[in-house]
Amino acid sequence: MILTARTLVAAVRPPYPYGEELVSQFLFVLKLSWFPMTISTFALCLGAPGLQAAGILSLFGNLDRLGGFFVVTAVRFIGPIVTAAVVAGVAGTAITADLGARKIREELDALQVLGVDPIKNLVVPRFLALMVITGLLDIFAVVFGMSAGIAAELLYGQPLGGFFSTLFANALITDLAASVSMCSMFGAIIAVVCCYKGMTASGGPAGVGRAVNQAVVIAFMGVFAFLYVFTTVLLATNPELQAIR
Amino acid sequence: MTGWLDVPRGWVDAFGEIARFGSRVAGLVYSGRVLRYFGESLRQAGILILGSALIIWAFVFILGLQCGVIGAYFNRSIGAPSLAGLFSAYCDLREGLPYAFGYILSAKVGTGIVAELGAMRISDEIDALEVMGIQPVTFLAATRLLGAWIAIPFLYLVGVGVAYFASYLAVVDQVGDVSSGGYLLIFWTYQDFIDVLFSLAKGMAMTTVIVLVGCYYGYTASGGPVGVGTATAKSMVVNIIMVHIIGMLGTLAFYGSNPRAPIGG
Repeated sequence: MILTARTLVAAVRPPYPYGEELVSQFLFVLKLSWFPMTISTFALCLGAPGLQAAGILSLFGNLDRLGGFFVVTAVRFIGPIVTAAVVAGVAGTAITADLGARKIREELDALQVLGVDPIKNLVVPRFLALMVITGLLDIFAVVFGMSAGIAAELLYGQPLGGFFSTLFANALITDLAASVSMCSMFGAIIAVVCCYKGMTASGGPAGVGRAVNQAVVIAFMGVFAFLYVFTTVLLATNPELQAIR
Repeated sequence: MTGWLDVPRGWVDAFGEIARFGSRVAGLVYSGRVLRYFGESLRQAGILILGSALIIWAFVFILGLQCGVIGAYFNRSIGAPSLAGLFSAYCDLREGLPYAFGYILSAKVGTGIVAELGAMRISDEIDALEVMGIQPVTFLAATRLLGAWIAIPFLYLVGVGVAYFASYLAVVDQVGDVSSGGYLLIFWTYQDFIDVLFSLAKGMAMTTVIVLVGCYYGYTASGGPVGVGTATAKSMVVNIIMVHIIGMLGTLAFYGSNPRAPIGG
């Protein structure tokens, strides 16, 4: 928590020396995450909401309703979850390993001796980059989730018109905005947890590995707890999300 | 600097190595040679239960709450709030639970194994084992796999119960559109013992892969303390993808041709 506050303060207070690092971190996370991201979202959306729900719906003979169901699951639920899992598992662990390695090699102390603030120059760019990129990756997750829905629909030999019409009838801007903003908060949680664990790594060879282990566990727990609270609040306070058109 | 195609390329590279290493470890377990170190296996199972059980159950509990809330609001939106049990039965048992289990297992157990074995490799303890005449793969990797196979089914089944309880809390007590009896009727109608077995099969397949991936990356770690951290991070990449692929293949194999729902003739 203290690290969160110090990061936020350092992010808004001039000078802003972290522009270059921000861009490089941004690209780094994107390069690491795009492949697991696409595979995972497609697989999860094809299996869970795609085939299971299509099975039930085909018994009722209304497979065109799958589009509406996909808005509920893929946008609100699975997109953010997979984004969080991939970013925490892939980018978060890489950040912890990176910072932990610098801590073990005493580079962080050296930075402080040189008069460079490690929070401002190392944590803030990662924090901002993860916040932005988790939100943006969520959109890719939704796109690939939708393509998995299309694949499920095609597996059952259905025309796609019904899928798209119920999909667009039910998709609201609120849904997408909530999904993206939730994902940015996930990115913030992941970044703070992973940076903290990386910067406090200690204890020889086992230390960095253990730091990564703890970081990813704490990040998952934090993200899921936040997801639950956010979903509850969102659904309870936005009654227009509760109608299927 | 990493390139755009490094992750897929590394993944394909590692996949063959992991398959070879994994089949070797699984062969050691199946041929019974691991039984020479059965005590160590039991110890690993004990560590797994004491160290990871609470985390796993807490995670599964949150997933159950989430399934319940989503299911309750979704069924309210189609005008059938009493059918919330259907959604949570599917979401908990068939799909959500294996994935949640895979996530938290790869985070807690998988990276834990990498960190532990990697530290042993870096401080030359694995070579020391070899000098002492103990086969390191058998003693370190195969015992962990056997330990996981002993402990995980029970953890998983208790996890099923925890998720059910959480969904019940969310649907009946939190949202409150449906009475307790109405919820439970639908909930138990839409699942049977075979579903539990299918779900367990998915969970165990994920467990096996996660433990093997963890052992592989720990066993082959190199490059000092930094190397252990990097290996841990890499194992997470492989695990996340494998968990999703196993989940999808499981769903395709078990429910692809037959939705197994008590609807219609």
